[in-house]
Amino acid sequence: MALINVAAREIHCKIVYYGPGMGGKTSNLQYIHAQVSKEAKGELLSIATETERTLFFDFLPLDLGKVRGFQTRFHLYTVPGQVLYERTRVAVLNGADGVVFVADSQKHKLEDNIKSLRELAVNITKQNKKFQDFPVVLQYNKRDVPGALPVATLDKYLNTMNWQRYEGIATTGVGIFDTLKAISKLVISKL
Amino acid sequence: MDPQLTSQIVPTEEVALIEECLSRLIEDTGANHVLLLDKSGQVIASQGDGNRQDITALGALIAGTFASSREVAKLLREKDFRMLFQQGVHDNVFIALIEEQWILCIIFNKGTHIGLVKVLTKKATDDLGSVLERVRQQHKARDDVLGSSFRTSMEDTIDLLFRD
Repeated sequence: MALINVAAREIHCKIVYYGPGMGGKTSNLQYIHAQVSKEAKGELLSIATETERTLFFDFLPLDLGKVRGFQTRFHLYTVPGQVLYERTRVAVLNGADGVVFVADSQKHKLEDNIKSLRELAVNITKQNKKFQDFPVVLQYNKRDVPGALPVATLDKYLNTMNWQRYEGIATTGVGIFDTLKAISKLVISKL
Repeated sequence: MDPQLTSQIVPTEEVALIEECLSRLIEDTGANHVLLLDKSGQVIASQGDGNRQDITALGALIAGTFASSREVAKLLREKDFRMLFQQGVHDNVFIALIEEQWILCIIFNKGTHIGLVKVLTKKATDDLGSVLERVRQQHKARDDVLGSSFRTSMEDTIDLLFRD
C-alpha cells in the first residue's frame, strides 16, 4: 500500500515489473534510468548473478518532485523471472501498489507468460488483495522479434481482465514510457 | 474499497512520536543510525548520521532481506523470523519486525553491545507498535490530506517527466 507521510509531506508508491524470465523487465528499468532526467532518478540497483540474470531484484527510485506540496516518489522493482525464484518474487511483490506484467511476444514463450500471470494472481491474492481490483498494466514486449505472436492472440490468452496494454521493444524504448505512465496514473488513482 | 489498496497515512503528530522514539533508541544504544520502514521498503522515518545518501536503497534492500527471510520461515514451517542480525567487521545491522507491517532497523558499530540493542529494540518495537495501531485506526479521507486536485496535477507531472 502507498505510504503518505503527512509530516514530511511525502508520498511513496511501489511498482513491480513482473513476468517470465528473459522477458525484458530489467531492460525496461535500464531504459527508464537512461532517459529520465538526473534530478528525477536515483541509482539503479541490481542484484544479479554473474551472468547478469536478476537474482533478487532491480530497484530504481524515481522522484517526481513536489506535486501540490507533496514530494512524490515511485519506487520501481523487477522480480527475477526464472521459475526457480518463485519465493523471491513473493518477497519482492510484498507491499506493491501496482504491477507491470511484461509478457514475451515470442511464440514459444506463450505458455511461460500464462504460467507467470497465473502465479502473479495467486501471489497478489495471498497478500489479501483482490486481483481483479489490483492495478495491472500489460506490456507485450519484443514486438520486433520475427514471428512475434499477433496482439490479438496475446490478448486472448493474457488480457482476459481487459487491462490497459502496450506493445513494447524494451531494448530501444518503444512503449516503455507509455507503460510507465499508465501504471503510475493507475496507482495514483487508487491512493 | 479493498482496505489493502488504500494508502497508509501517517499523520504529523504520529511522525513526531516515531522520530522521538528513534532518537531515544540512538541515544540509549549509541547506534549510528536507525530507520523505520514500511514492509514494502519505503522509509517512514530515519535518525542518525545526517550525511547518509543511501537511505532509499538501504530501505529497499533491508525490506527485501526481511521479505526473503519470511519466505524461508514459511518453508521451515515457522510463522516468521521477527529479528535478523547481520554482523560485519565494523558495522552491524539489527532488524526487528513490528506487527507484520513495519520494520525497525538499527545500524551500530562495535562500540555498542548487541544485547543492549536487542533489549532496547524490544521496548522501541512495543512503543512503535502502538503508534502503528493508531495509524491503522485512522480513517482520514484521502482528499482531506491531498486535496481534490492532486490527481490531475499528478497526471500532468507524470506526462511531463516520463518521456523519451
